[in-house]
Amino acid sequence: MSDEVELHPAVAGAQPYMRAETQGENSAPEDAPLFDDGAGRERLEKVLSRYPTRRAALLPLLNYAQERNGWVSRPAMKEIAGELDLTPAYVHSVATFYTMYNQRPVGKYLIQVCTNISCDLCGGEEVLERFLEETGTRPGETSEDGLYTVMEVECLGACGFATVVQVNDEYYEDVTPERVPEILDELD
Amino acid sequence: MPEEENSDLVSLTIDGVEVQVSEDSTVIEAAEKAGVVVPHYCYHPGIPTRPAQCRVCLVEVEGQDKLQPSCKLPVQDGMEVHTDSDDAELARKSVIEFLLVNHPLDCPICDAAGQCMLQDYAFETGQLQSRLNEEKLVMGRDRIADDILYFADRCIICTRCVRFMREVAQDDSLVVAQRGDRAYIDTFPDEDLDNPFQGNIVDVCPVGALVHEDYLFKARAWDMDKTPSICPGCSNGCNVTLDTKENQIVRLKPRYNGEVNSYWMCDYGRKHLVMGNRGVRTEVPLVRQGGELEPMDWSDALAAVGERLGGIEGGSAVVSPDACNESLHYFRRLLDTLGVPADAGSYRVEQGEEHTLPGFPKLTLREDRAANGTGADLFGFRRVESWPEPEPGAPLFVLQETLREAPESYAEDASFFLYLGSHLSPAARRADAVLPVTTFAEMAGTFTNHEGRVQRFQKALQPPGIARPAWMVLSGLLARSGDGSPVLDAADAFGEMTDERPEMAVLNWGRVGLKGQTLDSGAGAEAGAGAR
Repeated sequence: MSDEVELHPAVAGAQPYMRAETQGENSAPEDAPLFDDGAGRERLEKVLSRYPTRRAALLPLLNYAQERNGWVSRPAMKEIAGELDLTPAYVHSVATFYTMYNQRPVGKYLIQVCTNISCDLCGGEEVLERFLEETGTRPGETSEDGLYTVMEVECLGACGFATVVQVNDEYYEDVTPERVPEILDELD
Repeated sequence: MPEEENSDLVSLTIDGVEVQVSEDSTVIEAAEKAGVVVPHYCYHPGIPTRPAQCRVCLVEVEGQDKLQPSCKLPVQDGMEVHTDSDDAELARKSVIEFLLVNHPLDCPICDAAGQCMLQDYAFETGQLQSRLNEEKLVMGRDRIADDILYFADRCIICTRCVRFMREVAQDDSLVVAQRGDRAYIDTFPDEDLDNPFQGNIVDVCPVGALVHEDYLFKARAWDMDKTPSICPGCSNGCNVTLDTKENQIVRLKPRYNGEVNSYWMCDYGRKHLVMGNRGVRTEVPLVRQGGELEPMDWSDALAAVGERLGGIEGGSAVVSPDACNESLHYFRRLLDTLGVPADAGSYRVEQGEEHTLPGFPKLTLREDRAANGTGADLFGFRRVESWPEPEPGAPLFVLQETLREAPESYAEDASFFLYLGSHLSPAARRADAVLPVTTFAEMAGTFTNHEGRVQRFQKALQPPGIARPAWMVLSGLLARSGDGSPVLDAADAFGEMTDERPEMAVLNWGRVGLKGQTLDSGAGAEAGAGAR
């Protein structure tokens, strides 16, 4: 595809949402408004321009909240509800339906270990155990230094490379318990 | 259910029973007409959406391979439906077994026991032993509103409550949170429901997940007596059932009336009555003798009052807009006999904020917070903001108005003060005769609502002491002076009233029945008479 192709303004910027570098120690305070600054406003307008109804913009805006803060906070849900003419309760309902929206703050590195069937057969449980051991946390809990949150997740869609571990937006494939300290070292 | 006259009829058979229903009905509605009960949870006739998600109402339809949810399935001419076939019964049994997977089976301490659709249908399936070895999920409980608790473990996620709030109350603040076996009903965290109609979510809950804290552990469903009545909270006249136990009102439940309140009622009405259990009641007739109020039996009291009334001419009167039509009728007759001018009778109605249920606007908590202001109008009483001070030295007659808000010196200088009431306020204690009368819950009678619908309520409680309905007392008093005979039955009081009042001639005790009859329901001439 040529670089010259001009994108329709509605699709421009429609790259996959990236987990921003602002996560973890750099993340904005949870009560910082999402749409007060230029970036937030711009994202809001862009997202709204893509859908026929405001309600339809709910998931992309929840994504944005998570990008900024690493999780979806109550003030964020209220703010999104206000922008989309929805009730905060409705936003809460949607945000809790999808397990990938974090309901609590997560560490700088969100480590998601697949323990679905393929990974489990290749030692997924042991990998999970090792991550928990090395970080000194329990599943879903954030380490005291605020660096790590380890979660057990269902299939990450890379069964050919079991065990798969997703750290923020990076995939680590063929992970064995032995590789865990190395991966953690690499992160810091 | 859709109005049948608006569409064509189709006929179908349900478990071999042939029924004719309008073509826009669903199978579950047709089954109801055929007298066949199809178990269901998520379907509620008053809630518009039919998500068909509980899967309990599955039925077998001949010619169709798969079982169909009867709540959503439109009827077709010639359809043959089986609710009791092996497949349908097995499906139902399986669904209920799944519903019980995480259910705590805490019926012995559950408020819904005895009125629980899960308990009933689970019992019907006959599978009384669980086949489940897994540990049950424990979810705990939550406060949904200031007086509504949510027991998540008992919830079967039928979403009736969520859909009532969303579609009928049109307040999208109750939702399903999480998903799958972790799903539960929730508001936004740390925010309670705040809607004047939210109490209905407890009524629509088919299990014991949503309960009124006010009713928590108060009574078992089977220990209560149920009496059809009319909510006296405002002039809308919602049809209700009074649930009573040990001569106390325990709770109110809305009673279906498609012309007034559908399946719903407001929270103000629900809470209003519990206060009725309180306060000092008048129990025996009291007549002032030598400066003191002396207790008497009815015949002595009526004789004493009759004697005093003999020398009286004129005066003024105050009535309560909570007095029933029959009592107002006899009171008006007594006033006429005594020569009290027609415009010398007044009533005052407490006012409050109006709230309309968006999904059924006929149900509105009216500004007039009394049941029978229309009735008081009808009998010629004048509506006032505050009662006029009675003329010094003239007689005063009060019917059921507690006078709680009257100035301290009210009626101080009345030459004779007759008080028929159920409660004794400081002003009422000044009366020369106190005749104890029943509240609406302790008697039968009728109210006229804001649109002129006359509705009957029945006796739910035993009156305290020897209190009697005001219409009985007043007809007895009139009979003493040779005006008619004492009336002992509400139907007779109603009959005399409608005979004597041309604008009420269209009414009939039987036709008023449990759903009421409007004053303009007669053909032609009387149309609109009396209705405000």
